[in-house]
Amino acid sequence: MNRKVLLAGALVVLPLLGVLLANIRRDPTSVRSPLVGRAAPEFTLAPVGGGAPVTLASLRGKPIVINFWATYCVPCLQEHALLQAVARATAGRVTFLGVVYDDEESKVRAFMAEEGASYPVLIDHGGRTAIAFGVAGVPETFFIDAQGRILYKHSAALDEETMRASLHKIAPALMSEAR
Amino acid sequence: MTPLLGRSLVLVSLLLAGAGAVTAFAAGRSRSAVLWMWTRRLIYGFAAAMGAANLLMIAALLRHDFSVGYVAHVGSRLVPDWVSVVSLWSSLEGSILFWGLVLGAYLAAATHAQRDAPLESAPYSAGVWMVCAAFFALLIAGPAQPFNTVSPVPADGPGPNPLLQNHVLMIIHPPCLYLGYVGMTIPFGLACGALLSGRLGRDQLLALRRWLLLPWIFLTMAIVLGGWWAYEVLGWGGYWAWDPVENASFMPWLTATAALHSALLTERRGVLKGWTTTLVLATFLLTILGTFMTRSGVFNSVHSFTQSAIGPTILVFLSAALLFSVGLLAARIDRLSADEGLGPAMTREGMFLVNNLLFVLFTFTVLIGTVFPLVVEALRDLQMSVGRPFFDRMSVPIGVALLFLLGVGPALPWGRSSPAEMRRALLPPLASGLVLLAVGLVMGVRAYWTLAALACGGYAAHVTLVELVRPLRQRFARGEAFARAASDGLLGRARRRTGGYVAHAGFTLIVIGIAVSSTMGESREVVLRQGESVAVGRYQLTFLGLEEKSEPHRQATVANVAVYQGERNLGTMTPRMNRYAAMREPVGTPTVRTTLREDLYLSIMNADPEKQTLGLLVRVNPMVVWLWIATGIMALGGVMALIPRRRPVVATVSASVPVAPPGAAAAS
Repeated sequence: MNRKVLLAGALVVLPLLGVLLANIRRDPTSVRSPLVGRAAPEFTLAPVGGGAPVTLASLRGKPIVINFWATYCVPCLQEHALLQAVARATAGRVTFLGVVYDDEESKVRAFMAEEGASYPVLIDHGGRTAIAFGVAGVPETFFIDAQGRILYKHSAALDEETMRASLHKIAPALMSEAR
Repeated sequence: MTPLLGRSLVLVSLLLAGAGAVTAFAAGRSRSAVLWMWTRRLIYGFAAAMGAANLLMIAALLRHDFSVGYVAHVGSRLVPDWVSVVSLWSSLEGSILFWGLVLGAYLAAATHAQRDAPLESAPYSAGVWMVCAAFFALLIAGPAQPFNTVSPVPADGPGPNPLLQNHVLMIIHPPCLYLGYVGMTIPFGLACGALLSGRLGRDQLLALRRWLLLPWIFLTMAIVLGGWWAYEVLGWGGYWAWDPVENASFMPWLTATAALHSALLTERRGVLKGWTTTLVLATFLLTILGTFMTRSGVFNSVHSFTQSAIGPTILVFLSAALLFSVGLLAARIDRLSADEGLGPAMTREGMFLVNNLLFVLFTFTVLIGTVFPLVVEALRDLQMSVGRPFFDRMSVPIGVALLFLLGVGPALPWGRSSPAEMRRALLPPLASGLVLLAVGLVMGVRAYWTLAALACGGYAAHVTLVELVRPLRQRFARGEAFARAASDGLLGRARRRTGGYVAHAGFTLIVIGIAVSSTMGESREVVLRQGESVAVGRYQLTFLGLEEKSEPHRQATVANVAVYQGERNLGTMTPRMNRYAAMREPVGTPTVRTTLREDLYLSIMNADPEKQTLGLLVRVNPMVVWLWIATGIMALGGVMALIPRRRPVVATVSASVPVAPPGAAAAS
């Protein structure tokens, strides 16, 4: 056993491994959204399938969940059922909205007809609202409280646990009642 | 059906790799020719299973079979067929599957080449290969499974990352990189085999060098092709940004290049066996580190794949490989001890050593620059990056010093020499160095390091050309005809030597090209209304207008810019902005007008079709095309050195006449 080689190797290898290990959970893309804790950006968007445009201001007073998605996105498909179910269960107490900014309206309409839709989907031509929300891709979901502040942003398909915890943030009363 | 079949093939390859690893080590311990034969069969089986899995995936991509997870992730009905095929390596899972294909091919080829190698080390090498193969099969079977079943099956997919659909170089660069990266597994296994058996003989050394050289050629081309792609596609006008992933491919190249040089010294003098082996191990470990950097999502980069479960798995493998390598080296390096000392410093041997130290220093510099942000972030909650200034400041002196050595080293004679001999060797090339320096000064070069690169480059070019011509001159002096002198003196038996100097010529040109293009360029950002003109360098540009183009998989805004040089019309250049369905941000595609002297580079910064205004980045980049040419020269040198010398038939026949040992028939 050559001690010098062992020592030199350990001196290079162990710190390197230490650094990599310490960072393994890091996600460089999940820069904390500067919007969290602030008022959600205003928008006025028309729903897919026609109808009066929806403004954020008109929804104030109730917690809101805004889900940015697209028909071609597999994680969006996966979270679709959960979003629909929770939206139905909390109808009248939490407002759910979908937003598509990068998709064709006809495809969205076909998708909604086939997969079901229990809340309106708004179309964001040119992606101005998505830019204002700092959306980097789909799906992204924003949880906004009754005062219009963004309390949480989720950048992957939602699972039940995340959904429950996030709803608890924006609607504590609702969740304690459910329990 | 396809997902199930795909998963089964991956599972079969995993089993074959695991079994192969077991039989390989057993064959190594028992020196059993039968076990070695079974090991080889298992390796061929692994290669076949991986090949089949890849074919299946390509078929699924072409048939738009969205029930396959990976196809749903990157496929699209809108993209042309070539994009569908290229999608195989456009995203994480597919690229790891492709890795398996390349690894299988390499393993099969290397195993075939090693089939008659001595049983004391070849099976150990194969065992190490198969452990690596098993790991990658495990990765594909588990965290990077591309054959997941998707339900419900979507009607269409988003298509691969638009950046990868934008240029034909994307067809070549990734496979080239994989051929470089994955290929380093072979010399790693050979070096481990040498360490495990405690012997690095001449044949093993030659095999090691050859199997190091092959992926080195690919890695060299891949690195530069990546730079070329960035230059042609990303639109910021440069070709190298010290991005973590660029660094990830550059570090193993540095250690591999060092190893190629030290292996030469080992071959010639029997020295540095342990050191050469260490460099080969380091090269492989750096490719795995690079894989971790690209795939774990820990490093932020244009290349990074999305966050996935694959990071921890690779880290486990990296840790195991690192600890195994250090332990193996410490335990066995003394058995490979040198046959003789190195001798005085001012010899060619001494220069080899300095060259090696510089390459290693360069590697550590890049490694520290790449990893440092992580250290800072682990200690303080702060996002930072080590930018170009650090890398440029460190790499420019090292690069110039390497170029200096590339001149001085080959000029110096082997072994001890008298001061007079040394003067005769070292002084004449100074003339060429001074000439190139003077040319640079006349052309207006004032940057200190660029001038240094020119002087060293002139010197190195002189030495390289003299060395290339020397065998010809010797043969002419003996009265040989040109054709014969060239075929015997440069090709034939001297192929390796010639290849080395050709690669040196390429490297010299690259360093000069980098020095000149990075300091002598001109860059302007202008906003033009329709009909307006601007003069940059020797060119007058007139903005003719914007037009919209519609293609099946993308929309494009194309700017028409008329280019004149004095009175001469150079035609219309059309930088464009492409918009893809799956991406909100438009992707700029610059246009480049390339001449041997300089590139005219136009890239749209913003365009307003309604007002017909254009924000344009205009760059004049001198000598950039020489980088691409020089890389071709370097690769050519590598290929020349790689082509095996035909063995004299007489020798093999006389050597194989004695009675075959028992089992030899079964083994062959």
